[in-house]
Amino acid sequence: MPSPEFSFDGPPAKGVPLAAPDDRRGAATSVLRPPSGPTIPLNRLAPEAALRRLELTIVRRLEGFLHGDHLGLLPGPGSDTNDARIYQPGQDDVRKMDWAVTARTTVPHVRDTMADRELEVWALLDATPSMNWGTEGITKRDLGIAAIATIGFLSQKMGDRFGGMMMLPDRVKRFPARSGRTALYGLLRKMLTEPIVPDLATGHLELEDGIEQLTRTERRRGMRVIVSDFLTPGDAELSPDAPPAWERAIRRLSVRNQVLAVEVVDRHEIEFPDVGEMLIRDPETSFSRYINTSDDAARRRMDAATTAQRERIKVALRRAGAGHIQLRTDRDWVTDIARFVLNYRKTAAVLHQPPQGVSK
Amino acid sequence: MSWVPDFQNPERLWTLAILPILIIAYLIVLRLKGRVALRFTNTGVLGRVVGSQKRWTRHVFVAMSLASLVALGLAYANPLGVEKQPRERATVVMVIDTSLSMSAQDVTPTRFDAAKKAAIEFMHELPASYNVAVVAMSGSPSIAIPPSTDRGATERAISALELSDGTAIGESITSALKAVDQAPKGDDDKAAPAMIVLLSDGTNTEGPAPGDAARQAKERDVPIFTIAFGTENGFVDVDGQRENVAPDTEALSAIAKASGGQAVDADNAAGLRNAYKQIGSVIGYEDVKKPITATYAAVALGFAIVAALGAVFMAARWPR
Repeated sequence: MPSPEFSFDGPPAKGVPLAAPDDRRGAATSVLRPPSGPTIPLNRLAPEAALRRLELTIVRRLEGFLHGDHLGLLPGPGSDTNDARIYQPGQDDVRKMDWAVTARTTVPHVRDTMADRELEVWALLDATPSMNWGTEGITKRDLGIAAIATIGFLSQKMGDRFGGMMMLPDRVKRFPARSGRTALYGLLRKMLTEPIVPDLATGHLELEDGIEQLTRTERRRGMRVIVSDFLTPGDAELSPDAPPAWERAIRRLSVRNQVLAVEVVDRHEIEFPDVGEMLIRDPETSFSRYINTSDDAARRRMDAATTAQRERIKVALRRAGAGHIQLRTDRDWVTDIARFVLNYRKTAAVLHQPPQGVSK
Repeated sequence: MSWVPDFQNPERLWTLAILPILIIAYLIVLRLKGRVALRFTNTGVLGRVVGSQKRWTRHVFVAMSLASLVALGLAYANPLGVEKQPRERATVVMVIDTSLSMSAQDVTPTRFDAAKKAAIEFMHELPASYNVAVVAMSGSPSIAIPPSTDRGATERAISALELSDGTAIGESITSALKAVDQAPKGDDDKAAPAMIVLLSDGTNTEGPAPGDAARQAKERDVPIFTIAFGTENGFVDVDGQRENVAPDTEALSAIAKASGGQAVDADNAAGLRNAYKQIGSVIGYEDVKKPITATYAAVALGFAIVAALGAVFMAARWPR
């Protein structure tokens, strides 16, 4: 149930759309200047009903404080059987007697259960200026919010909480974790209406700082979703052997949490556009240079380098023990996430092996 | 002549005043354009892969179009070029040294005979419409024949020259200027341009200094072409005494310079003929100013073609 102090934002089916993109050029102008607002309305972020039948596999044990649907870390009342231990008169419930063990050992035993806990999901959205970019009707930032919405609806089991963090260049904005779909809509609405960060905004925060903050502030085990383009401004490294700056931070985060990395890319970040000779500027660095984008050889080189760069990101995320979804602004993110989730059922247990010495 | 040509309509050069305006406008547009740029996220890799594009090429094409405009502006003002045109009529006064030094035999057969022969040849090579006068230069210079187009009479006058005493260069120039005055006027009642061809083999021995006479010639716009004739070792026997008669090249070239003409040296018959030929080629032509608008327009066209190609290459995307 939504908390009483939380204002009722209203499900989008009834309410007025938060922001209707005036036309398909809404995001395309982000190529020239930062967008003035969200490029997608709240009610188109994720098909809530269709996602109810999917479930995000949780393989790590959780340590919530409520009774939930997921396997907990510590013993307690739950449905999952654990060890058998000697019956303590007056302390244990007789209904939990493990008769098979009692008969074999002639000592009364009870069967312990692991507590069932609720899931706490925290999504970190990279909202730096490079995310305010998109050529296909939706900016990367809004695609990231859509991904958070989709994953949020996937994890709407009983009592599960969903919190958000927005990494702005100068600070990390925290939206507390609450349970219920209304609270999730509130979170998404807040993320959508958060003012767009202008280009070359002052601030020194990089993605790794945001992840570190997430690790530090949210101590309870759960799921962490990092939504970013994973591009470090000014970084030209292509070799997968050189770890990116954020790899260590994700590795630390994944020691206790199940980490899902959502990489949002635009089609024209992978296929360099052919737009003639242009002055090209970076929204975050002082890069400003005339580039002849019609040069076929240069474009081929650029595409090859981008492929290598994406490969490096993929390898680094895998090394850090995080699940990796790549979403593109020109594709349907719901389909991509659904496909990932179906496959994730089989691979999650292997993918999210905790490091040695850390309980699952 | 300086590299800036004369113009038939110099007032039209005001059109060039738009050039600074265009340049300033270009710079302003450049500054404004710097603000509008394509945002791109992955510039780290882009900068590494593509490298720096040469920006100056675009400025080269702009400079080309500006150069084309400059050339067109100049063409609009009708620039005048200098062209050599055969002179229609002129008065040529041949001053021939008849001093005794001309009897020296360092030039075969003698200096005097060689000089006469070369002078006659030169006279025949001049256009028939030229008036030719002959002044005999000796101690007392005299006009052997006033300006006339009758080549036969002039030839006879040259052949009839005889040696006498002394060399009065200054006075002979004055006589030559007098001979110029005797030239018949043209149909438009204007005197034809005149030149003096002075052949001498010695130094000034009598009369006023030649410098004054040369300046006088300069004032009247009559260039003096001098020929220093003879070798350094030339000698004559006068009254049983051997005297060196080397030509005074310095004095002669000073005369030529002062009057706006040319100085040539000749130490044998062939050299003398060459000297006369050289002078003939100078005085046979005059400089005429003619509009060369077409040249400037062609240059402008060339610049414009380069600029247009550049603009097309930079802006347009070719169909593939």
